[in-house]
Amino acid sequence: MTNKFSRRDMLRLAGVSAAAATVASPAILRAQSGYPSRPISVVVPFNTGGYNDRLARAFAPMLQPLLGQPLNIVNRGGAGALLGHTFFMQQPDDGYTICLSSFGPYIPLNILTQNATFTVEDFHMINLPSQDYTLMATSADSDLHSIDDVMERIRNDPASVSIGVQPASADLVNLTILMEAEGISTDDLTLVNYDGGGPARNAAAGGVVDVALVGGQGFLPLAEQIRPLLTFSDEQRDGWEGALITNVLGDDAPFVAGSQRGFGVHSSFVENHPDRYQILLDAIETASKDPANIASLEEQQLATTWYGPETSNRQLRSTAALMEQYLDLLVGD
Amino acid sequence: MIDMNSLAGAVALLTSSFEAWLWLIPGLMIGLFFGAMPGISITMAMAIFLPMTLYMEFLPAIIFLTAIYTAAGFGGSVPAVLMNIPGTTSAVATTFDGYPMARSGRHNEALGVALAASVFGTLVSYALLMFLIAPVSRVVLRLGPLELFAVAVWGMLLIGSLASKSMLRGLLAGVFGVLLGTVGFSSAGFIRGTMDIPWLFDGVPVIPAMMGLLAASQLLGLINTKYLISDEASRSISFRKIISGMRMSFKQPFIIGRGAMIGVLVGSIPGVGSSISNLLSYAETKRNAPDSDTFGTGNPKGVIAAESANSSSEGGAMATMLALGIPGGGATAILLAAFAMNNIVGGPSFIANQMDIVYAIIFANFAQAVLLLIVGLGFVYIAGYVVRVPLRFLIPSVLVVAAFGSYAIEGSAAGPITLVVFSVLGWAMVRYQYPVAATVVGLLLGRMLENELARTFQIGRQSIEGIFNYALTRPGALTIFALMLVSIGASAYAKHRRRKKGKTILAEEE
Repeated sequence: MTNKFSRRDMLRLAGVSAAAATVASPAILRAQSGYPSRPISVVVPFNTGGYNDRLARAFAPMLQPLLGQPLNIVNRGGAGALLGHTFFMQQPDDGYTICLSSFGPYIPLNILTQNATFTVEDFHMINLPSQDYTLMATSADSDLHSIDDVMERIRNDPASVSIGVQPASADLVNLTILMEAEGISTDDLTLVNYDGGGPARNAAAGGVVDVALVGGQGFLPLAEQIRPLLTFSDEQRDGWEGALITNVLGDDAPFVAGSQRGFGVHSSFVENHPDRYQILLDAIETASKDPANIASLEEQQLATTWYGPETSNRQLRSTAALMEQYLDLLVGD
Repeated sequence: MIDMNSLAGAVALLTSSFEAWLWLIPGLMIGLFFGAMPGISITMAMAIFLPMTLYMEFLPAIIFLTAIYTAAGFGGSVPAVLMNIPGTTSAVATTFDGYPMARSGRHNEALGVALAASVFGTLVSYALLMFLIAPVSRVVLRLGPLELFAVAVWGMLLIGSLASKSMLRGLLAGVFGVLLGTVGFSSAGFIRGTMDIPWLFDGVPVIPAMMGLLAASQLLGLINTKYLISDEASRSISFRKIISGMRMSFKQPFIIGRGAMIGVLVGSIPGVGSSISNLLSYAETKRNAPDSDTFGTGNPKGVIAAESANSSSEGGAMATMLALGIPGGGATAILLAAFAMNNIVGGPSFIANQMDIVYAIIFANFAQAVLLLIVGLGFVYIAGYVVRVPLRFLIPSVLVVAAFGSYAIEGSAAGPITLVVFSVLGWAMVRYQYPVAATVVGLLLGRMLENELARTFQIGRQSIEGIFNYALTRPGALTIFALMLVSIGASAYAKHRRRKKGKTILAEEE
């Protein structure tokens, strides 16, 4: 049996189809690229149960129908988010790994105090809906009723109040500023280190430590079990009672903003895959603005405001600049 | 303590839809299958199926997810018994006696014992939960670093009983494990022993390390053996024997009760949970058993202790999640997410206002436990056939599955690399008669031990005197330490008496 096609015919056919493929390829590519074509990992550089984790798990189902792919939450906690951020940066910048984190203040902290291998410019913020602030709180049945009680006790004996705080955090900077105004060094305080906001809040709520300084929004689910003492902001936040830092240190009181949380991607992803970036951006924007989602997130005491990439990136950069100013407080003498 | 109105509400809720119950069996089967796959954790199994529940009503979603939770908790004991692989950290103590039972041809009984103890443990823990949810939730947040340190020390006592022949080797292996457990960043921000390897910043990956130490080292040692069970006649798969194993469990209500108590209490502490409770329960049971010498060689009581504690931790974790809105671990975090999708947020006001949902969840878990007995029976019957597979096929297959599993759990090559390193280490330790289990216990407890001690030290103003003063203000911690001493004292006394008795008998014979 002889072959109907000669070798040359085959070659010619192959050549033609190759040419045809080249011509047709943009359309095919577009159809095949179909981002996202597989599940997307959301790296959360904190352990389960914290604000970022709750936001990720609440937001994922809102994003899934828009992207048409499931979102996997990957918790990579530890070392003040350094591990998670480094892990995220090591992942391919193809849009299949995105990050939900407290970028401010942790990215600057990682860089300034932990010799991180990345820079602020390596991260691109899509939206930072949650703008947190440090809240000093105590257990609901504590005998500390106000910030004055706390300060009085600390003035008498700086070590007499145990203070739960995360090492190298915005909360620690705020505590240091507050104490320095009284001429008290943080070295003389009884600091108790927790490696997560959740454990530190639980410790405050349970009276394990006398007070804790942690992001205030994460305290909302524990509202019944704590007593707010001092909000590090110039306005009342989330209805917390107690004093404002501006009441204590005056109108021009210096303080560092708390966690700025939301979605971020690799900056190189924005440059290399503008089409994919647009799809992701649109999906997050649509999900953030959906009234039903807003209602549901508010019910869970999670922030939803849409600021967009421009504002969000500016916010992160300004926190980074501010943190650099307080660098000596963070790294010690 | 039990609110009758809510109880009626729960019954109404549960009987409102029959379809919800159709999800129970699939949930159990998924849980069993995923739980039995080494390296696939309960959390992963639930995370995979969480998106499915988006399209369900609240009740079926919760029934489905908690069914996975319940069954996966037991599923992990199947590879633990048959292949010495604790698929999850909560099945470590199950391997201590389960695997020796399987190797001596009592695999049917061992699986039956494990199944019944799991089911019993779950039932007891949810029954306790019905009465204890409010008080437990009040206590959980009050636990300070000293209390948790005491719990970790209690767990460490197990190392002493794992060192069978040479106490020195056992302690050395345990200390080695603790040191391994402290690798990485401490909660105070210091970094130790990472050798500049980035993925060690988070500590040694526990599950791959554990699989390497316990399983791979065993399997490598079996390379010249033809079958898991040398006696051909013992390789049978028998319903009758599985059921006789189940009966063995039912004969030990005290061990199950103690396991369930430890499980509920330890399980309710956020971040501690079933991986510690099974060790504690095993250690207590072994120390207080009259036949404690036979533990580790295939004593069913060891399996009962481990399984009743790890399955009842589920109830404790649920209590914390429902009453405080705090997820103790990955699995409850996922349940919380499923709750959130239905606009239900756990916390004190939740159990105050929506006790009917709490009771409904508890009742659904009763039903799950009972059905698990039936579905699980079929599952272990089929799984039992592993003993008939020649080892030349079984060993490579298991190693491949373990490698995949360790990749899945870490999401990077860090998993398989850890598995290989610890397999070699484990093999060498077995070769020179160091108890690998002691290292695993140290690895599991090392980090907790260190972090809680560091926090105690900080609260105690960084001085011994301060720690002492602090301890005096913590009656809970002192109680735990006192109970620990009483338990050690009692078992030492009992052992002393037995030895004396043994001597008198010998003397009389002479």
